[in-house]
Amino acid sequence: MPGRQLIMDFEVTPTSHTLEAYRARGGYATLEKALKSMQPADVTKEITASGLLGHGGAAFPVGRKWSVMKPGDGQPHYLCCNADEGEPGTFKDRWILEHAPHLLVESMLIASYALGVRNAFVYIRGEFDLPWRRIQGAVDEAYAAGLLGAKTFGTDFVLDIVVYRGAGSYVCGEASGLITSIEGRKPYPRNRPPRLTVKGLYQRPTVINNVETLANVTGIIRMGAEEFRKVGTAKSPGTQLVSISGHIAKPGVYEVEYGYPWVKFLDEDCGGMLNGATLKCVIPGGISTKVLTRAEIETLTLSHESVNPAGSGLGSGGMIAIAEGTCMVRLLQVLLRFYHHESCGQCTPCREGMGWMHRIIDRIVDGKGVPEDIERLYAISHANDGTTICGMGDAAGYATVGILNKYRDEFEHFITSKRSRFDGRLECLA
Amino acid sequence: MKHLIPEFEKMKQRYPEGFESSLVLPCLQRIQEDRGYVAEEDIVGVMEYLHVPRIQVEEVLSYYTMLRRKPVGRFHLQACRNIACSMRGSEGILGHLVAKLGIQPGETTPDGRFTLSVVECLGSCGTAPVVMVNEAYHENMDAQKLDKLIEELR
Amino acid sequence: MPRLTIDGREIEAPAGQTVMEAAKAAGIFIPYFCWHPELSVPGNCRICVVGVEDKGGEWVDIACNMPVAEGMVVYTNSDKVRERRKATLQFITLNHPVDCGICDKAGECTLQDYHYEYNGERSVSVDSKVHATKHYDLSARIVLDNERCIQCTRCVRFTREVSMSFGLGMQNRADHSLVRAAEDGSFEADAYSDNVIDICPVGALLSRSFLHKSRVWYLKPAASVCPGCARGCAVNLWHRRPEWRLRAADMRAQNEGIQRVTPLENPAVNGPWICNKGRDLAKVFGRARAEVSMLKGRPADLHGALAQARSLLASARKPVAVVSSWGSNEELAAFKAALGSRFTTFVKADHEPQAGEVLEDAILIRADKNPNTAGARALFGDAAPAIPKDADLVLVWGEGFDFRLIPPEAKIVYLNAWLQPENGHADVFIPISIQTERDGHYTNFAGVTSAFSKCFAKPVGVADAEAVFPALAAMAGGGQ
Repeated sequence: MPGRQLIMDFEVTPTSHTLEAYRARGGYATLEKALKSMQPADVTKEITASGLLGHGGAAFPVGRKWSVMKPGDGQPHYLCCNADEGEPGTFKDRWILEHAPHLLVESMLIASYALGVRNAFVYIRGEFDLPWRRIQGAVDEAYAAGLLGAKTFGTDFVLDIVVYRGAGSYVCGEASGLITSIEGRKPYPRNRPPRLTVKGLYQRPTVINNVETLANVTGIIRMGAEEFRKVGTAKSPGTQLVSISGHIAKPGVYEVEYGYPWVKFLDEDCGGMLNGATLKCVIPGGISTKVLTRAEIETLTLSHESVNPAGSGLGSGGMIAIAEGTCMVRLLQVLLRFYHHESCGQCTPCREGMGWMHRIIDRIVDGKGVPEDIERLYAISHANDGTTICGMGDAAGYATVGILNKYRDEFEHFITSKRSRFDGRLECLA
Repeated sequence: MKHLIPEFEKMKQRYPEGFESSLVLPCLQRIQEDRGYVAEEDIVGVMEYLHVPRIQVEEVLSYYTMLRRKPVGRFHLQACRNIACSMRGSEGILGHLVAKLGIQPGETTPDGRFTLSVVECLGSCGTAPVVMVNEAYHENMDAQKLDKLIEELR
Repeated sequence: MPRLTIDGREIEAPAGQTVMEAAKAAGIFIPYFCWHPELSVPGNCRICVVGVEDKGGEWVDIACNMPVAEGMVVYTNSDKVRERRKATLQFITLNHPVDCGICDKAGECTLQDYHYEYNGERSVSVDSKVHATKHYDLSARIVLDNERCIQCTRCVRFTREVSMSFGLGMQNRADHSLVRAAEDGSFEADAYSDNVIDICPVGALLSRSFLHKSRVWYLKPAASVCPGCARGCAVNLWHRRPEWRLRAADMRAQNEGIQRVTPLENPAVNGPWICNKGRDLAKVFGRARAEVSMLKGRPADLHGALAQARSLLASARKPVAVVSSWGSNEELAAFKAALGSRFTTFVKADHEPQAGEVLEDAILIRADKNPNTAGARALFGDAAPAIPKDADLVLVWGEGFDFRLIPPEAKIVYLNAWLQPENGHADVFIPISIQTERDGHYTNFAGVTSAFSKCFAKPVGVADAEAVFPALAAMAGGGQ
């Protein structure tokens, strides 16, 4: 195990996701403690003190987001749990939804209490079927037990949770796209300002937190911020769920304590590379984070302060291990096809840029690349950097620049010799 | 669609007041689950039930990839082709499906039994490659498993 | 009020304003496609980027969604800003057909202007363009070219925020998004739909009635007032420039017809919009004209007709007049001055609502389908026309009056611009000029007076009503 466990700290059985099993593990005791012995502001204070960082990809301090909310300012406040998990390579929230749905419900109850929220939403991607049935089941169980929809534990606090299903769209994972989707419309992201904590869902103050982020709330309130900070590192407190896939022997979801050595994680915990292959590079946290080579990660630990200076980030924890012999041109083609497919088409740079990059990479793979294409891909990435309404244009640019910077020779080879240096392979044959 | 209104009314109870517009997506999803697609009369029904303009329903239907206005085959096979699945052989899986079913992605077999689609990331990268059959994920797919699956569905 | 500096100029702007609004108010131009003062801010075109000075250098963001702040230092033309704009224009023209040679918008196209001003380079793309529908029938009135569309969504927002028809939307996603009309025909029924043609910054939305009719630089606008209802919207009547007259047989319709009608912004009356009826004024003004004076249906010259009218008036004991609510304030005043004391006068509605026309709404359209009812009533009262049985002379001015209401023995003097059957029933008929042939003013239902100007010469043989009334009075001696 890569360090201490805060979320995956119980044995998964066919019934471990139920209310009964969760209560047997001490579930909802923290909620009762919070409701009966803490003021809402105390909860926020505790979360701020814990240093909890967002697990959706941006690692924004949760306490800072929560502190903007002013419970009792006379208007409704909303909490949305972002369970859209659409970043390719990421499937860690799915673990929580499937195996610890009540941890999420309890956490949302506590968070809603802190934020003065009466109505909360879980926005779950439409493709997820079992995770949806599990979280919907947990919410229904909580209603039946009087935890939701009624005065919780006899206090005046009441919360309704709606599990809202997406219908196939990557930009719904972007906070403002998500709330526009919950408004029953096409999920066009919104310009900031205003911040969503000022004007979010139906123009009301709204906090949007990732599943894993919220799942940490119960633990923090149970053990206290001080205890929580003993896990992980000073700058990255706690743990991160890493979902690893690609050319790795044991793909899956691992809870990694921040500060754990990266190479050790890959070689020991994940069983090394598939078929004994050699690691070429790794995408650290979803395809929108820049790729790092084996040499670059050698001395790094899995923590923000270690990975960020290397020019990348832990992002959403969607780690993808890529073996030697993989064609990076074809790999970028897969990514750019995805970004093109998922651009919402609202703002100019992303709408036009994603299709343009996709056409360029398709042409290169088709053996019709021209030398200027590489500079063009850089230029389009640059023209999307910070110029779009949401972060998607930037993300596609990071992915592209990350691969071009490190594997430019493969692109040059493909363009001049009209074929891949590695037979266009994406699979691991070694 | 009319027969689903009692269900919609129940669903509404967990929403705050003034959230009618929010119900567009859940109502369309439930209708599609019921009928297999969203028909013209459903669009009119949703407009009237939720008091939303028709253009909102049309935009939603055309934007989200999972909603459709035409029926698909009895079994909707969706093969993921994003990064993790590609790295674990989804291109071969797709080729196998095309050969086996004799249809290209986006098409339905003449007997109306299978529709084949390609999709981008189903969030099951650790068990790649994945093929979704209707709502169910079939993980760690290979040619043999695929053959067996198709035989069972035929 | 926050003070900020834009391009070295210190300005003050109310808190809550955006940099775009503040710059515009100060006369500093920032380019924009999707932004529109009357619509919401989608911030999607990204052309309005400005640079803001900061500790760490200069950051660039869109001006249309940037609130002004105290001490802010903004640049609209820094190197960074120019580079961003250029990149954005490369994106915008990436899949645009650049078919200005056959595009009606050429000459008044924002994209064309910005291309020369801020880009000036051909596309750097070597890939084929994304193709989309051309000549798509968005409605019976509007043709859509999706390839020219830059997806600024101005038209979509117009139907949601101004006309409230919710008739348009964006279908699909990414670079295959398309503007489409809702399938329930709500755009077809939108009485304001043609405004989307004007607010389209490119040639994607074009008027079917103007399609390939003329290059816009051959035309010039004449400021005018729409006579379609009592709102009296300010409009531009576009007609061919005299120096570009077509010299061929049968070119009168081209040379002296209204080619198109667009709104002329007037915040006190119509803002920047007009309804579709106003777009079709060419049909109203293009009707067959009466150009010859008549005495009991027989052609006469104008002098003879005026003399006959004078003598009828001289011998009348009880003359009654029914004046036009399409007459200008000047004409109405001329009538009052010359003949007001001689006649018992009523104001009539020249036009009544037509079947299928919007009667009235909360946007612009008024139930009274005449432009100057208020101006006429101010002079002649608001009693409905009621011709007394003993009237022995009835002067009717303008169309739309039922001659059966005139006592059979009474003599009729009729002033009308149009070729209509009643003309021949009058004892004296005098053809008069129309709005496009003279200057004048109308007063709308709310009391706002607007000017219209002449764009064509009146036909030979036609008189101005303003001159006819004093001419009638000269002998009748009915002046004040």
